[in-house]
Amino acid sequence: METDRPSLRDLRAGLSLLWQLVRRYRGVAALSIVGAIIWMATVVAIPTIVGMVVDVAANGDERSELVPLFFWLLAAGGVQAVGISVRQYFGFKLSYRAEADVRNRIFTHVQRLAFSFHDVTSTGELMARASSDLSQLRMILAMLPITIANIAMFLVVTLALVIIDPVLGSVAALMIPAMFFTSTRFANRVVGYSFDIQQRLSELSHVVEESVTGIEVVKSYGQEPQQQNKLELKAMSIYRSAMGLAKERAIHRPLFEIIPALGTVAVLAVGGIRVVDGSITIGEFVAFTQYIAVLVLPLMITGWFFANLPRAAASATRIDDLLSTAPEIAEPDKPVRLRAGRGEIRFEDVSFAYPDGTAVLDGVNLVVPGGTSVGVVGATGAGKTTIGHLIPRFYDTTTGRVTIDGVDVRDVSLDELRSEVSVVFQETFLFSASIADNIRLGDGMATDEQVRAAARLAKAHDFICETPDGYDTVVGERGTTLSGGQRQRVSLARGVVRDPRVLILDDATSSVDAIVESEIQAALQQVMAGRTTVIIAHRTSTLALVDNVAFVEDGKVVAFGPHNELLKTTPRYVEVLDAGRLEVGT
Amino acid sequence: MKYMSSAGDYKVDRPGSLIVRAARIAPELKWPFVGTIGIAILATLVRLLGPLIVKGGIDNGISKGDKGAIYVASGLFVAALVVQYVTTAMSQWSVAHVGERYLVKLRSVVFGRLLRLDMGFFTRSKSGVLVSRMTSDIESLQEFASDGAVLALSNFLTVIGVAIALGFVDWHMALAVFVVIAVLMFVSAIFQRQARRAYDLVRERIGSVLAALQEGISGVRVVQAFTQEEPQASTFGRVNESHFEANMASARAISWYFPVVSFLRIGAIAAALGIGVIRVMDGSMSMGTLVAFLLYLDWFFQPIINLSNVYNLLQSALAALAKLYELVDKPTVIQDRDGAYDLATPVVGSLEVQGMSFEYLSGVPTLTDVSISVAPGQRVAIVGETGSGKSTIAKLIMRFYDPTEGSIRIDGHDLTDLTGQSRIESVALIPQDGFLFSGTLRDNLVYADPGASDDQVWRVLETMGIDSWIRSLPEGLDTQVRERGSRFSSGERQLVALARAFLADPAVIVLDEATSNLDPETEVNVETALKILLEGRTSVVIAHRLRSAERADRVFMIADGQVIAEGTHKELAESSPPYRELVDAWKVGLA
Ligand SMILES: Nc1ncnc2c1ncn2[C@@H]1O[C@H](COP(=O)(O)OP(=O)(O)OP(=O)(O)O)[C@@H](O)[C@H]1O
Ligand SMILES: Nc1ncnc2c1ncn2[C@@H]1O[C@H](COP(=O)(O)OP(=O)(O)OP(=O)(O)O)[C@@H](O)[C@H]1O
Repeated sequence: METDRPSLRDLRAGLSLLWQLVRRYRGVAALSIVGAIIWMATVVAIPTIVGMVVDVAANGDERSELVPLFFWLLAAGGVQAVGISVRQYFGFKLSYRAEADVRNRIFTHVQRLAFSFHDVTSTGELMARASSDLSQLRMILAMLPITIANIAMFLVVTLALVIIDPVLGSVAALMIPAMFFTSTRFANRVVGYSFDIQQRLSELSHVVEESVTGIEVVKSYGQEPQQQNKLELKAMSIYRSAMGLAKERAIHRPLFEIIPALGTVAVLAVGGIRVVDGSITIGEFVAFTQYIAVLVLPLMITGWFFANLPRAAASATRIDDLLSTAPEIAEPDKPVRLRAGRGEIRFEDVSFAYPDGTAVLDGVNLVVPGGTSVGVVGATGAGKTTIGHLIPRFYDTTTGRVTIDGVDVRDVSLDELRSEVSVVFQETFLFSASIADNIRLGDGMATDEQVRAAARLAKAHDFICETPDGYDTVVGERGTTLSGGQRQRVSLARGVVRDPRVLILDDATSSVDAIVESEIQAALQQVMAGRTTVIIAHRTSTLALVDNVAFVEDGKVVAFGPHNELLKTTPRYVEVLDAGRLEVGT
Repeated sequence: MKYMSSAGDYKVDRPGSLIVRAARIAPELKWPFVGTIGIAILATLVRLLGPLIVKGGIDNGISKGDKGAIYVASGLFVAALVVQYVTTAMSQWSVAHVGERYLVKLRSVVFGRLLRLDMGFFTRSKSGVLVSRMTSDIESLQEFASDGAVLALSNFLTVIGVAIALGFVDWHMALAVFVVIAVLMFVSAIFQRQARRAYDLVRERIGSVLAALQEGISGVRVVQAFTQEEPQASTFGRVNESHFEANMASARAISWYFPVVSFLRIGAIAAALGIGVIRVMDGSMSMGTLVAFLLYLDWFFQPIINLSNVYNLLQSALAALAKLYELVDKPTVIQDRDGAYDLATPVVGSLEVQGMSFEYLSGVPTLTDVSISVAPGQRVAIVGETGSGKSTIAKLIMRFYDPTEGSIRIDGHDLTDLTGQSRIESVALIPQDGFLFSGTLRDNLVYADPGASDDQVWRVLETMGIDSWIRSLPEGLDTQVRERGSRFSSGERQLVALARAFLADPAVIVLDEATSNLDPETEVNVETALKILLEGRTSVVIAHRLRSAERADRVFMIADGQVIAEGTHKELAESSPPYRELVDAWKVGLA
């Protein structure tokens, strides 16, 4: 893990993201800094006033001299309150605004990243970017204005001390560099552990997420203890990093108290002698002790800031990495409009391998004439789904090209392409929203009537009407409150609600029973009429409906033609499809 | 799109009893905890010596012009600081140690409990919310453990110590200061009420934000397919914005409170100084006392402000704890009842469903009076329309839910009388979608029995005829399957899920459309393999193909949650019109 730890240098990208955020909200940031500066000025003034009061007492002056001093003291207190208020409010505003802004950016960006990215990135990891990493960033931004004012304050106080008494001033001011040295050292040690903790936390949330989504399997096999062990392992590694962190804290944090106290000792020893010698007044002595006291908290906050800056920068770097990951499926520079046409699909010498090197397609040539339907048949894992995913450009071909009505899909804007190509996925994913909203996902503009028509087509209307709230019934996460077949039908309705040029159905009826399936097929004929349709299916009843069948084997389309013809000409096709009937023996 | 609100009012009713309960889960930490407190007290006491030493230095040294006394005082101070450093470092380390240990324990306990909650709970809950229990809620406890607890302890002790010291140094000034402190406390109480409300809202909204985020990420493929990126983003933007607004409400509360506190602090200094100066001028108090008092005063306010911060940390820690315990306290219906016993082994495998009724939502019956009996080693098929309740029967056999009426018996014993472990060892379900855990293929195959050897794994894979496919993967059994098994095609995932079930070696096996995504050739191969693998096992097959029904010893046809026909395939094909209709549909599919 050592090698994973970033040094401050590696964090430049994160720091520049932070800087960019500050620039973006510079108005708010500036107000907060102004508040902080006002606050700082009063912090510097108050010990001097206190010192003057003490001198009045020590010299036995008139009591009336105290009155204006107390007036100034309370006035400074009032101004200080205003300064704090402004500093805090706008500091929070800066940090919350930036947080909301970045979170929106993450969400929007992640929505645009290609399938290949999501194939290898877990949900938990992305969640960590938008939650724990982001809160690191927010906290550091919230502390930024006060830290700037603090640093200014250290300069001003040093100056004030040196002016009051050069000797004592220099001695007392020594504590400032001592504190800085300690806090940067602390920061550098802590960053590695913090990084580890973040990392382990996102692994841990992955374990939880997976256990919860796969709970049926967990419970089936009674593997609760095993899942619990997995979590405990992660929790233990968090513990180890946290303890490493705690050790560094234990060593360094008390120093943030001890160093100022040593400053007080220095004031006592050196300052005391100088009072005895008559070089300074007792009031000035008191002012010194007050300055040291006043500096403690700002020095600690500054220490905290620098201790957490690397951690926040590491988080910001991870966020920046994510935000600067270019979607692998790039928008064309000069998008071409799809030509008017009936949706002819052409695969020209298409080869495709997944980014991890799994070669799936190897020289696919296929022409689906516009307005016709094609069934894609092949053994499990032959690459049928992959073929379907190349058309709406979920992935790009490795070599060769895919065209719709003669236009390379890579030349068309994604919006246009995907609104012309509608996909019904093999795995149905429904959002936890109403059924109507789920169907309307296919076409945001669809009227209620259109939604219903689509549901009827998908044979979903009847069962939807039986649910308690009809189309307004909210389905559970991933649609868990519907049966498998019901989910599939809702997703089918979603696929047909818009009027796409090309419709791709990936095993879209695998979970519906035969009767409903034949009803859907009847309805499909209506949908398919005059529309280019790609159906990935195993059942002969479906294949009998399509104009042509493409038979996929060994990464190629080895046969293409009407179902009945392939049955005669391609023995492997008969094997893959019809073996079932031989078994049935009726 | 509407997101179901994850709202919940997590009022901590009895924080005391909550803390006691929470403490009970880690009794072994009791003494380390006590030790920690001891060291922290010591550290604070030493810390309090400082101003007294300064006072001595001023009164005996500076005021009298005795340089020697100044050096003695300075030397003493340094010695005190050394002790202070050591004790503070120790107390910080040990607070963290106790806190972090505790969190490991808590995480494990809560998660263990969560995993054992009823299935119904999981279908109702959003996974994002559950994940946030184990992460952000525990993290707010972590924040408290690593930072807050140290602060709380040392600040609390400091406040007490300083209050005593102040009174000890000069009670006149102390009295004036305490008046200001009383005002401070009153103001703090108002603030806390306001802040609580604000933070509750923030927590509720962040829950929605995370849930929306989670769903947006896991549904991203659908979003892209339907070019819904923009509508999704704007929905998310709204949820996100409302979280921002809640945050700003909390910021407004903070932005009036801390300025007031700061002003009160100056007020206290002025009051002490005013009284002190007059008394010094009277000669009734020494200058050293005044300085020491002022030094203490600075140690008084900051800890009180810190405590107020800590109070917030504590509030969110308590709220988090309350939410965690709400989970822990969720009643579970599905659990071993008192006197539950193990099934005698070897399990014979007779399965008897008697007069079973069930409803997911009360008043909406999903199953009504279903009776199915399966003799040991028999294969039964359940057929019926989508949504008729087939999967629900499977879930009840797995005891994911208990029937509202009727019973399920294995070898003549009611499932509800048996231990969960018996059910696990005797019944396995292969669900519709083969869920795989991220990890290697091997991890997934031996999921039910992590001790299984590679030989055993290969034997099952060979029987199923998928060994050559797995051997062809570059990394074989070590292939990473990725989240939800996304490395594989859906058919491949189903094959893995099947192999996983057979490696568990159960007496009763329930297949819920476990082969729906296979191509017919592979399916036939699997069917052949099933014949061998199901040998001697009782099986319930939820069938969507003619073949599966024909293979079965008996077929049950379900419609609207009721058994409308039962018998062998041949009998039903002759006697039951709805079944004949289904068979005809199937035949069309095969033609
Ligand atoms: N968790 C749940 N809460 C409420 N209702 C549910 C829940 N799960 C399923 N249902 C409803 O119960 C009924 C039966 O569902 P079940 O999953 O058992 O059907 P099925 O016969 O297996 O269908 P399929 O063949 O499509 O899988 C359906 O109407 C479904 O909407
Ligand atoms: N993201 C991925 N990364 C690497 N390999 C993958 C990925 N997705 C799929 N594969 C592999 O590519 C091959 C083709 O997968 P595809 O999903 O296209 O098959 P399919 O023909 O649709 O199968 P099925 O009938 O089971 O749905 C499979 O061998 C699979 O293991």
